Amino acid sequence: MVREISDRFKEKFPSIEPKEIPYEQRGYHLFIEAEKNNIVDIAGFFRNEGFYLADLCCVDYVDYLELVYFFNNHNKLCRIKVTVKTDPDKPSAPTISHIYNMAHWYEREIHEFFGVFFEGHPFMVYLFLHDGIDHYPLRKKNVPVPEWDRQILNSFRPEEQEDGFFLNLGPQHPSTHGVLRVVVKMNGEYMLSAEPVLGYLHRMHEKMAENRTYQQFLPNAARMDYLGALNFNLGYVATVEKLCGIEAPERAQYIRTITCELNRISSHLLWFGAFVADLGGLTPFLYTFDDRENILDILEATAGSRLTYSYFRFGGLYNDLDENFVDAVKQFITRLRSRFSMYENLVTGNVIFINRVKNIGVMDKGYPIRYGCSGPVIRSTGIPFDIRRHEPYAVYDRIDFRIPTGTTGDNMDRYLVRIQEMEISLDIIEKALKDLPAGPYKAEKIPKKLKPPKGDIYHTIESPRGELGVYIVSDESDVPYRMRWRVPSYSNLMTFPELARGSLIADAIATLGSYDLVIPEIDR
Amino acid sequence: MCDLAAIINIIGKETARLILGLIGVLIVVVVNALVLTWVERKVSGHMQKRIGPKEVGPYGLIQPFADGLKLLGKELLTPANVDKPLYYLAPVIVFIPVLVSFIVIPFDGFLQVKDINVGILVILAFSSLSVLSILIAGWGSNNKYSLIGATRSVAQNIAYEIPLLLSLLPVAFMANSLSLRDIVEVQRQGWFVWRWQFFAFLIYFIAATAETNRTPFDLPEAESELVAGFHTEYSGMRFALFFLAEYTNIFIASAIATTFFLGGYLGPVLPGIVWFFIKTYFLVFVIMWFRWTFPRVRFDQLLNFSWKILIPVAFANLILTGGILKL
Amino acid sequence: MVKDVIIGAISLIKGMGVTIKAFFSPVVTVQYPRETINITPRFRGHTKLVADPEDPEKTSCIVCGMCERNCPSNSIKVEGEKKEGEKKKTLKRYILNFTTCSHCGLCVETCPVDALAFSADYNPADFKKETFYYDLMLEFEKRKKR
Repeated sequence: MVREISDRFKEKFPSIEPKEIPYEQRGYHLFIEAEKNNIVDIAGFFRNEGFYLADLCCVDYVDYLELVYFFNNHNKLCRIKVTVKTDPDKPSAPTISHIYNMAHWYEREIHEFFGVFFEGHPFMVYLFLHDGIDHYPLRKKNVPVPEWDRQILNSFRPEEQEDGFFLNLGPQHPSTHGVLRVVVKMNGEYMLSAEPVLGYLHRMHEKMAENRTYQQFLPNAARMDYLGALNFNLGYVATVEKLCGIEAPERAQYIRTITCELNRISSHLLWFGAFVADLGGLTPFLYTFDDRENILDILEATAGSRLTYSYFRFGGLYNDLDENFVDAVKQFITRLRSRFSMYENLVTGNVIFINRVKNIGVMDKGYPIRYGCSGPVIRSTGIPFDIRRHEPYAVYDRIDFRIPTGTTGDNMDRYLVRIQEMEISLDIIEKALKDLPAGPYKAEKIPKKLKPPKGDIYHTIESPRGELGVYIVSDESDVPYRMRWRVPSYSNLMTFPELARGSLIADAIATLGSYDLVIPEIDR
Repeated sequence: MCDLAAIINIIGKETARLILGLIGVLIVVVVNALVLTWVERKVSGHMQKRIGPKEVGPYGLIQPFADGLKLLGKELLTPANVDKPLYYLAPVIVFIPVLVSFIVIPFDGFLQVKDINVGILVILAFSSLSVLSILIAGWGSNNKYSLIGATRSVAQNIAYEIPLLLSLLPVAFMANSLSLRDIVEVQRQGWFVWRWQFFAFLIYFIAATAETNRTPFDLPEAESELVAGFHTEYSGMRFALFFLAEYTNIFIASAIATTFFLGGYLGPVLPGIVWFFIKTYFLVFVIMWFRWTFPRVRFDQLLNFSWKILIPVAFANLILTGGILKL
Repeated sequence: MVKDVIIGAISLIKGMGVTIKAFFSPVVTVQYPRETINITPRFRGHTKLVADPEDPEKTSCIVCGMCERNCPSNSIKVEGEKKEGEKKKTLKRYILNFTTCSHCGLCVETCPVDALAFSADYNPADFKKETFYYDLMLEFEKRKKR
């Protein structure tokens, strides 16, 4: 696959030489150095080849700004890094948002954090920092924001438009699960357009990472996605381990798998309750909390906390399993399996529920490529894309599991995929528990101060919401030079404006609920 | 005491009865709402495997009083841009139709404020007034959520008034009277719900759930969509009046169902009033049971359900009943 | 059409069966201030100082400052003093700013002499911020007396 793409690329662009990169060390296969004048063509080439844009970020190397594009294929693993260098004094690049809709928000983000102006981008307003900024926050040097740019950034003013009925869904609204604001233009009960406004929970974890050592950043990962805290924790720990060449012992890997799957179930259970609550049924919420409580108790007994665990450490775990862990988990598996029929009766089979979710918010197979959505959202469209299979980490390569997929990509499919995923997670846990080896839970001789070798790394894991990517650039100090988080809810939410256009407000809220959004993760 | 007798002599017996009845009704309304808030919280609690209120008084029985006191003590906030006359008026007029409806309900053979021979019409006419107050509240609040909630409410009430009426008419045909007491008395031969009017009962009950804006038809106040719908901007005692009216409406809807289909105050051994309340509160419980089980329907589905299923079935039932009676 | 209505009605009744069953089954919640559940031994509350296994009167802290340096949120201030006639520094004050602590446990992990542990104090509450600037040394002394 890599060779083929490389050859075809060379055919199309003879002047550019794609470099093959050792995947085990860097997390991507090919590296292409593009220029401003050919990046649009390159993006078009990858779009034609069926690649999706996994991530788009920027790194400030003081002498130049580097835009980093990560492409990947849903069917076969082939990660490609494309970079474009731009001048730090007047940074600019052509937009690729007309090729990949996903780039739309990423380019806005880079624009406000680095000041890179994307030529041809239709809507370069603030994404996160609506209060305004006086300098570009992620630049290494203090670069003040020029007046013309501030005007562009501030140009989204729905309250000043008179020609419509605008409704602010959020930031305080019962169905946005946190502080998402969606500016909706309405025509009666119908939505004419929806524009999500982010940043109400923005804490700039990426900047925080540049100010603390690798160890000190550990608790931050869990704060981004409080529901999938262990998964985010693992994403970060695994990336740094790969970067430093640390190998976690077998037992630790198994425990990571088990606890991550427990975490996934607890996240899905909460989503399940919240989704039905969005549709007006409040009782399932309490039932799922009852089940979820069991997981929290199990994880608390082992990791010591209930939500933001920070349980994984570089080279292993914080501590070994609790002695009751295995029994408690087995008990929980039996319990949850017996509860699915109850949920089936209460929710899945309910005619009101079915009518509310069936054929609503339909995503065709084009969405994942254009928007880079992942997790249950992509699986609902029928593409069996799961990082656990696609790019195995921990011990997922040793465990055989089914990937549930939907057919139409509507809310019902997203719902069913998640329900099945819970059952499959139970199977994974059961298999992993059977094979759980004895041995140390932490690698020996982990230095107290990590100083990874120079270079960059991109590593992904499957969080409950989808593909979580961590991109770290190291400059051999004990502090990351740049840490970039590619979060799944962000790209999933991007499909909302398109799905919501022309739909009833009730349907749009059902769709919003079906994404399983975690706002702190989007806002970072 | 003799003063009272003198007063009664002056104003006439009928008027005195009406005034006393109204006072009684007011007491029933308030006590009923207090009880129902407690019941609702307990029912929802136990259905969700929680315990519900328990701290204030034994089993939390005093909780509604504490809540009422809190709401009474709250500052009456008026948002800046509301249409003031309408905003103030809405919570007041939401209550009037509710009170009037109570007058004709026979709690027992003799416990009825006034037996009017067009009792059903009084109730139906006044219950459709409550939508006016919702519309006024939604419009006067000058809030987009309130307005959407209010428009939904109007459409919903219009759609469900028809099956409501159509399901009560066959019973009136069979009883050959519009007076509520007559309808109950006719049921000494058997409740109408078992005498061919089961479908009418179902239709009435569904329509009544929709009329009282309860889940699965709580679109006017759809929490996850419209925050609180038409009463988003109301707080303190004004909110409490809407709340009171909602629970009283539930009670009235259940009371009418009891009167028309479940034999009203008729029943063995126990006094009539006890039977009346047992039946009514059972129906109230079922409405609560709906709320804590079902998700909400969508707006167009709600209207479709009424126009495409309930109204045709109710019509068929009406024609069938009328035809059979005529034959 | 009729079939759909009947199937729908059955599904609704099934759902109502679930809730009524729950209605008559025992509650699962714990009536918190009246009842409490056991805190697991590994619970990560705020940190506490551990007594020296050799001398239970003293903490084993050697005032190396590892916890202070490793804390991600700068929540720890360690002050030591050098007493006359002793080789090592002894701990005078150990201030933990609990308002910014995120329970990550890096201080416990990096401590070279295992002088720190987690307490099971799960419900601290107060109106003043200053209450949560814990002096762990004072707290240790208090615990010792008891």
